[in-house]
Amino acid sequence: MRTHRTRRGPRAVGLTAGLLAAALALTACAQGGADTGGDAGTATTDPDEPVTIRWSWWGSDTRHTLTQEVIDLFEEKNPNITVVPDYTDWGSYFDKLSVSVAGGDVPDVITQEERYLADYASKGVLEDLSQLDIDTSKIDANILQSGTIDEALYGIATGVNVYSVVADPQAFADAGVEMPDDTTWTWEDYVETANAISAATGGAVYGAQDYGFNEPGFSILARQNGQSLYDENGEVGFEPELLAQWWQHSLDMQASGGQPDAPKTIEVDAGGPEQSLVGTNTGAMAWFWSNQLTALSNASGRPLQLLRVPGESQFDRTGMYFKPAMYYSVSSRSSHPEAAAKLVDFLLNDPEAGAILLSDRGLPANTDVRAAVTDKFAETDKQAAEFLTSLEDEIVDGPVVPPAGAGQATEITKRLNAEVLFGRLTPQQAAEQFVQEVTAAIS
Amino acid sequence: MTEVHVRTEPQLPVHDDDLAARTTALAARSTDRHQRSRWPQRLRSFGKHLGLVALAVMMIYPLIWLLSSSIKPSETIFRDVSTIPTQIDMSNYTEGWNALLHPFGHYMMNSAIVVLGSLVGNLIACSMAAYAFARLEFRGRRVWFAIMLMSIMLPIHVVIVPQYVLFSQLGWINTFLPLIVPKLLATDAFFVFLMVQFFRGIPRELDEAARLDGCGHGRIYLRIMMPLAMPALATTAIFTFIWTWNDFFSQLIFLTNPDMYTAPIALRTFIDATGQSSWGPMFAMSIVSILPIFLVFLFGQKYLVKGIATTGIK
Amino acid sequence: MSVVSELRRTARPGPQGRARPAPLRRGDGRAAAVFLAPWFAGLLLITVGPMAASAYLAFTDYSLLTDPTWVGLENFVRMLDDSRLHNSLRVTFTYVLTGVPLQLVVALGLAMLLDRGMRGLSFYRSVFYLPSLLGGSVAIAILWRQIFGVDGLVNMFLAFLGVQGRGWVSDPDTALWTLVILHVWTFGAPMIIFLAGLRQIPEMYYEAASIDGASRVRQFFHITLPLLTPIVFFNLVLQVIGAFQSFTQAFVVSGGTGGPADSTMFYTLYLYQKGFTSLEMGYASAMAWLLVIIVAVLTAINFFASKYWVFYDD
Repeated sequence: MRTHRTRRGPRAVGLTAGLLAAALALTACAQGGADTGGDAGTATTDPDEPVTIRWSWWGSDTRHTLTQEVIDLFEEKNPNITVVPDYTDWGSYFDKLSVSVAGGDVPDVITQEERYLADYASKGVLEDLSQLDIDTSKIDANILQSGTIDEALYGIATGVNVYSVVADPQAFADAGVEMPDDTTWTWEDYVETANAISAATGGAVYGAQDYGFNEPGFSILARQNGQSLYDENGEVGFEPELLAQWWQHSLDMQASGGQPDAPKTIEVDAGGPEQSLVGTNTGAMAWFWSNQLTALSNASGRPLQLLRVPGESQFDRTGMYFKPAMYYSVSSRSSHPEAAAKLVDFLLNDPEAGAILLSDRGLPANTDVRAAVTDKFAETDKQAAEFLTSLEDEIVDGPVVPPAGAGQATEITKRLNAEVLFGRLTPQQAAEQFVQEVTAAIS
Repeated sequence: MTEVHVRTEPQLPVHDDDLAARTTALAARSTDRHQRSRWPQRLRSFGKHLGLVALAVMMIYPLIWLLSSSIKPSETIFRDVSTIPTQIDMSNYTEGWNALLHPFGHYMMNSAIVVLGSLVGNLIACSMAAYAFARLEFRGRRVWFAIMLMSIMLPIHVVIVPQYVLFSQLGWINTFLPLIVPKLLATDAFFVFLMVQFFRGIPRELDEAARLDGCGHGRIYLRIMMPLAMPALATTAIFTFIWTWNDFFSQLIFLTNPDMYTAPIALRTFIDATGQSSWGPMFAMSIVSILPIFLVFLFGQKYLVKGIATTGIK
Repeated sequence: MSVVSELRRTARPGPQGRARPAPLRRGDGRAAAVFLAPWFAGLLLITVGPMAASAYLAFTDYSLLTDPTWVGLENFVRMLDDSRLHNSLRVTFTYVLTGVPLQLVVALGLAMLLDRGMRGLSFYRSVFYLPSLLGGSVAIAILWRQIFGVDGLVNMFLAFLGVQGRGWVSDPDTALWTLVILHVWTFGAPMIIFLAGLRQIPEMYYEAASIDGASRVRQFFHITLPLLTPIVFFNLVLQVIGAFQSFTQAFVVSGGTGGPADSTMFYTLYLYQKGFTSLEMGYASAMAWLLVIIVAVLTAINFFASKYWVFYDD
């Protein structure tokens, strides 16, 4: 018996090994997936070798379609480079990016935003663009400065835009409410106007969409009052009472019907321009970045108007500012930095790319491109460009570059806004909690 | 193991005349009652079935609604309350299929690869471990068995972070390896347990007979245990399929590259990308993604139900 | 035998009651090593190793991009002050303490309705099981998000009845309850286990009871329920463990935010955010260990309490 068993023993082992090997082989075949950037290998030096790079951005459908066109054009001009698009909506973009970074799987070209630029730069994820072959000669020095941290250029702004109120003149007309004079209207006027529209249409068309989930709106109010969201020392630069005031206006509008009730606000907020009240012709005013005008107009199907935000002349100074709409950055771990640089260079400097993107990513940063494409602008883009030009004399300065960790302010604002709207926190409590949480995040 | 888990009806104790008499009387009475009150009985039964059917419809209604909405044009989903669509529009399926970077089939294929690997892993590795626990004698067997049992209840969250770090350093993130290799190493202890219970029900005489014929453990395992354990293997296969296909958390963590997304992740990307706008295509792809599970359920019902029942009974 | 009773038996040394013949083989060590090799490798590499690493990481500050720095108890102290963590515990406990009992009651209720041998039993059983099968999938979570939305199916029905619906999913006061409803909807698996358990109760007991004139209700409370308590216990233990680790539904229904206003921030969702979104992996590991402790304590409570209400007739 025993001898039989020992003779069979090795056979059992062999069988097991064979089965396991087969299974492992199966999974080895399964190890598919694109070999796009992320594996820290030596960068290719042969410019004609076929290369695949990944470009990530956020946006709505309109932007995705435009961007695909630009990619197609780039690939035509650079047949050896394939660009893999990686897009999501704004809300999940940075969550996904941080997970990708953690997984060692960073896109080669990353669309960045001012709140997160410092964060990612400090983690060593972004390449110093001045070391790459990107022509920045035609780009405004201020714009380059906005992406420079500690002497290194981590992101080049794609263009500028401005946070403004988008209004639907037809909605105003239908409600019989006069369009306000945006150079003089106050925050109280804003609330009253919104209430008036809702009242006149019996709630069929809301006066405004809630603005409290996005802190740039508050940044403007702070600046109007001589304060700021962040100060030069990388701390919060405002009094909680001011923030409480900002949220109080929302509550006032909600109470008198000027804006929808809380549940509806939550649902609408999740939807971006296409699902916004203005976009669906169920609201007269909403706060958006000026480069979202095209998407909004397309969704709404009506001509829309850009207004200065309320309170620009109510206090000591104006608060609006030119914001770098977004930045192009390159991953420091990319295996194809040259190809990535080529793409960035193309996007910024090639007039044909500019002709496709127009002002979707803000007014083009390259002054030559801007001049060349201005007359190609669609009506809405021209409108946005003119609006920005009209503000040049009024906008006195820009805010401080947000400190590392400022990215968390987005989530904090959203959450506290919901708490306020549902009456679970008073504006003052929410404001104090905001200061506390944001301070912890940026310290 | 066939019906071992169901206890047979005990025989009436013969010595208890009183009880026997009472029961016979009951039987007699109930036949009478049966004949006299057939109508109310029938009515009650009918009423009960009606109630049950109504309840069943209510339970299934969300799924029916999902299906019917997926073939309605998007705009009418919220206006047309009726379950039977007035207009049929299959474009939701084509639209949804192509809405993401790859056709949805690509993501289904990714899911299929993960499921296949998991199936192979669980069937082989778990049955091997189960054979050892059920049939082999070795030092510390009870201790190891207890450890195996406790690992069933371990939350994955406590190991996910280090696993992520480990796989990240091995370069396995964004491959299917982190999802499949654990299955090849019998980490789904639940199935080990299931099969142990099953193997214990196979008579040892068969083992002994084989031993007399000169078979070693390998042969016994392959030629005797496995063929007889078909029901347990089928149950394992079916549950593995369903749980793996639906496994969102691990796939979310280990697959960050959009090319590698499996069906649940792709579906979730869909909902985030299109916001609230295109419910039609989204519902269509939801149906597509749960279709495989539904089919497995249809054809494997027997094993499913038995499998669940077996695990719960003392 | 269930996992649970196995564990009990292993834990209780002493007479096992089964007179097993002396094993005919001794020293199967080598064969055991072969058969258990994959399982053992998995245990070390995938389970125990990561557990140890996670225990270490819980005392560090680790963002994956830089090396871990030892911070001692700081993570745990932080957990004491972290109001969002406390909130997530509250949310999760509410979910478990309401969802699990409700689901078990519904499961038992339906199991009682499905008498043995009734017509269409297997049909009903399958239909009631189907939601349970699909309930964990992303597709169903998406469906749920829609039907409880402001313009969703539920509100359409309420409008039919003339009731003004609200945004169930977007209101912090009601969002969690939509998830509880989802959990109750997936009562299929416990129901099947109850069904099997009910079958094991001999008809004779019921017949004897009705001879003695006991009403159906009394029969339920004095025969069915006591004899079913081991099954109830089993279901309770597993469901509590499972419900505490819920992730997918909350993630998809809230869009990954745990919102609105953290009202659906399940513990595992918060863990995921801390670990994989904010890249605070040290803190996430500490949270994971707290989860293990909580689950262990809940299970232990269940086991101890079982002495008082579970009736075993072995």
